[in-house]
Amino acid sequence: MAAATKKNKWEQALVIFIMVAGGILVSIPFIWMISSSFKPESEVLAIPPTIIPENPTLENYINLFTNMNFAVYLRNTLVIVFFSFLGLLFNAMAGYGFAKYDFKGREKVFYIVLATMMIPGQVTMIPVYLLLNAMGLTNTMTGIILPGLAVAFSIFLFRQFMTTIPDDLIEAARLDGAGEFHIFFRLVIPIAKPIFAVQGILTFIAGWNSFLWPLIIANDESLYTLSVGLSLLQGQYANNFALQMAGAAFMVVPIIIIFSFFQKYIVEGFTMSGIK
Amino acid sequence: MKLKNRYPYLFISPAVLLLSLFSLIPILIAFFISFTDMNLKGLADWSSISFIGLENYQTLFADDTFIKSIFNTIFYVVIGVPLVIICSLSIALLLNYGTSRLFTMFRAVYYMPSITNIIAVAVIWGYLYNTEYGLFNYILSLLTVENIPWLQEPTIAKISLIILAVWKGIGINMIIFLAALQGIPKSYYEAAEMDGANRLQVLFHVTLPLLRYATFFVTVTTLIGWMQFFEEPFVMTDGGPLDGTISIALFIYKEGFQFSEFGYAAAGSFVLFAMIIVVTMIQFKLRKSDTEY
Amino acid sequence: MKGKLWLLIVVVMTSLMLAGCSDSSSSEGDKNTVTVWAMGEEGKKLKQFSKDFEEKNEGLTVDVQAIPWDTAHDKLLTAVASGNGPDVVQLGTTWVPEFADAGALLDLSEYMQDYPNFAKENYFDGSVTTMEHDDEIVGIPWYADTRVIYYRKDILKESGYEEAPKTWDELKEAAQTLADRGEDMYGLDIDRNDQITPFIFAWQNGYEADLEEGNLNFDSPEFKEAMQYYTSYFEEGISQKQEGKDIVEAFKEGSKPMFFSGPWMINIINDQAPDLEGKWATAVMPTKETNTSSMGGANLSIFESSDNVEGALKFISYMTDVDTQLSWLEESNTLPSRTEAWEDPVMQEDPMYATFGEQLENTKPGLQTEQFERIAQELLAHIERITVGGADVEKELEEFNQEAQSLIEE
Repeated sequence: MAAATKKNKWEQALVIFIMVAGGILVSIPFIWMISSSFKPESEVLAIPPTIIPENPTLENYINLFTNMNFAVYLRNTLVIVFFSFLGLLFNAMAGYGFAKYDFKGREKVFYIVLATMMIPGQVTMIPVYLLLNAMGLTNTMTGIILPGLAVAFSIFLFRQFMTTIPDDLIEAARLDGAGEFHIFFRLVIPIAKPIFAVQGILTFIAGWNSFLWPLIIANDESLYTLSVGLSLLQGQYANNFALQMAGAAFMVVPIIIIFSFFQKYIVEGFTMSGIK
Repeated sequence: MKLKNRYPYLFISPAVLLLSLFSLIPILIAFFISFTDMNLKGLADWSSISFIGLENYQTLFADDTFIKSIFNTIFYVVIGVPLVIICSLSIALLLNYGTSRLFTMFRAVYYMPSITNIIAVAVIWGYLYNTEYGLFNYILSLLTVENIPWLQEPTIAKISLIILAVWKGIGINMIIFLAALQGIPKSYYEAAEMDGANRLQVLFHVTLPLLRYATFFVTVTTLIGWMQFFEEPFVMTDGGPLDGTISIALFIYKEGFQFSEFGYAAAGSFVLFAMIIVVTMIQFKLRKSDTEY
Repeated sequence: MKGKLWLLIVVVMTSLMLAGCSDSSSSEGDKNTVTVWAMGEEGKKLKQFSKDFEEKNEGLTVDVQAIPWDTAHDKLLTAVASGNGPDVVQLGTTWVPEFADAGALLDLSEYMQDYPNFAKENYFDGSVTTMEHDDEIVGIPWYADTRVIYYRKDILKESGYEEAPKTWDELKEAAQTLADRGEDMYGLDIDRNDQITPFIFAWQNGYEADLEEGNLNFDSPEFKEAMQYYTSYFEEGISQKQEGKDIVEAFKEGSKPMFFSGPWMINIINDQAPDLEGKWATAVMPTKETNTSSMGGANLSIFESSDNVEGALKFISYMTDVDTQLSWLEESNTLPSRTEAWEDPVMQEDPMYATFGEQLENTKPGLQTEQFERIAQELLAHIERITVGGADVEKELEEFNQEAQSLIEE
């Protein structure tokens, strides 16, 4: 027994070493991005790059906030994030429908859903715009939100995971007289927590970074999002890298918070206690 | 019974309706456009668009750049996709090994590349790959290896972009694998342990088979994603040197949005679309023949 | 049934919130508003700037929307498609033919009389070309830019050059000497991804395209010779083939003491390399047959679908007024398009401005065809084959000429 624990300790040390070494390697660009945001413009592109700024400055951040119509952009971004979570619910429902029901045309409809993932987004941009224009939704928040609500990738991911939920569990709940929506909200969602956490992270990031649609649809800066606001700081020829890094670093902070928040639900996992 | 049949449709309809409206119909419109000579003029005045049948498709296959982009895309997919899957699965297993705070913290660390701003990515990787001043060549020079032209030679440039894309692509697949790993009931491991299985046996006979839904998902989506390989060549090389890194998606983007040849670009995307469908169908077929546990 | 209730609540809430968000201000179709799309930083500055216009024109409000440079083209495409454009739009000079050809821009010919600021005589010859498209006036130059030589005075002096090279031969010789200073030293930096540089060399060598006859003249000896001159810089190691250091860094340390760039570079060098002050200068392009440089900058055009043409005209007239142009220069650091503005003492006395003023007298815009972008890209690809791939100049240019010619004949 003693030998076994010793071996385990070595193993653990090795795993931790690999993990830490790989982690540092992988995050260098990220660290550089953060550190650049504190550098004066004269230092950003210096070769070799410095990880720790020689003359740290907050100027970039001050510049960033004085240059942006911050409150408006933030509000719009949050509205988009909010609705994309509603879209997440739709996607989860669809995923569940495809995973756990047998109905006519299931395969076909599902393949069509998948097919929408396969065409490059740029090709459909103009047709979608014309459709929204015909519906009178250009220059409205609705026009910005609607096209992004349903995501094939998300439906597919939900479907894959919900397939692994044992049928017996759902059948048992039905026998107990639970309604279908009740089963979905009270049984399936809790079981699928890890995948909801993953999707929560992805949805938040997508909403938070939304860029192209707010720009294309909006004919008014009162509908711009943070990303659009940030990209306004780019020049035609000249780019102020330090300022952009400050913007990028700022955009990433909420993502890290959301990530740490959701990722703890990935840990919880499901035990088969429900079946007993 | 009849009543019960409504439910599946109730569940799928909101998402499916939205998708039909904002993806399917536009795709059909784009399909129609691919048989026309639509350009910016046509966009402004629809009466000037003329139907030219299969001409766009014929021109495509006589276009050297397009042929090259197909070859490059295959190169990216064949090397990149297995690499991403293996890397993200290994990292997920690594992170799943322990439960201490350190391990949860490193989830965020490994996720960082996928949320690093693309401009930061371009700048810092541009430096890493710089032939004369770059970090990679500096390290290699210590090992007395000659300078490698990371982004200046067509084949090496492709590989450089793959490395970059793998680095960026690990994050999302890793958390999907992690979620799947967490979904494996502990009782399975306990049972295997009781049977006296060692770690490797558990990995190959319990963990990996139970990850099949997740692996299938990751494989399908990664493949689709890599067949649409775009961002990396777009920011790093713009398709060069000598069209050595141009991908189909980048080709389409350039035709459509740089040169406003919408008809031609739409035709290109349907060729890509067809390729992706075929590949995905094959995957689903292979999966079907897979025995269900 | 609880589940259904849930769904109902969600649906009702959604529709309420969507409705709540939809009532955003819609300024279109308003006779008293001039909507203006301007790019990036300029767009943001213009918003404040146009307050003065509103004061002078009682009853008119200006609604400026700033659009990021990167996506401006996409945004304009959708506006053309739906006819939902602004009244006034800022267009880069290379974009004019494309959008004019699509019929997206209003012909201003009939208003030329009423707005003296629009007269062609007011602008540099290089800009005038961009105003016209198929005998229509489709835009009024707003600001100008052009390329000049940036050079390190101190380094050139060390190598025995008191001033910037004035001719092609001098340029080549000086660059050669500078490149011979040692390993990793270069004489002249040429951005191989820049579309206009090859054309600048060609124009300097007397090349001219005959677009009316649909003849690009890429097979003319002038063009060929210019391309040989251009590629020779790479072949002889005077210019760096690979992507080396960022140009400002290299300029700072002296490994690339000369390069071509536009007015925006002044601020970049001042910001990123403040230590260099006094050690660098700008000079007009070297001469072969001419010392032509490129005409860049932006025009202001009126969208065909504009519903406030009169307001739009007033706004453009205001922006192209000499006084406005001078205060806009202070605000945004972009160079005035009006020749008269350059007679102002401010422009005459500042040596940096003076160089640009002199160079602007001798400029040409990119070929005024909607295929220019594509032709320029093709040319760069062929040049890459020569400089990197080691292909034969004659053969590549031959091929390029055929491709370009077939593009224009389409």
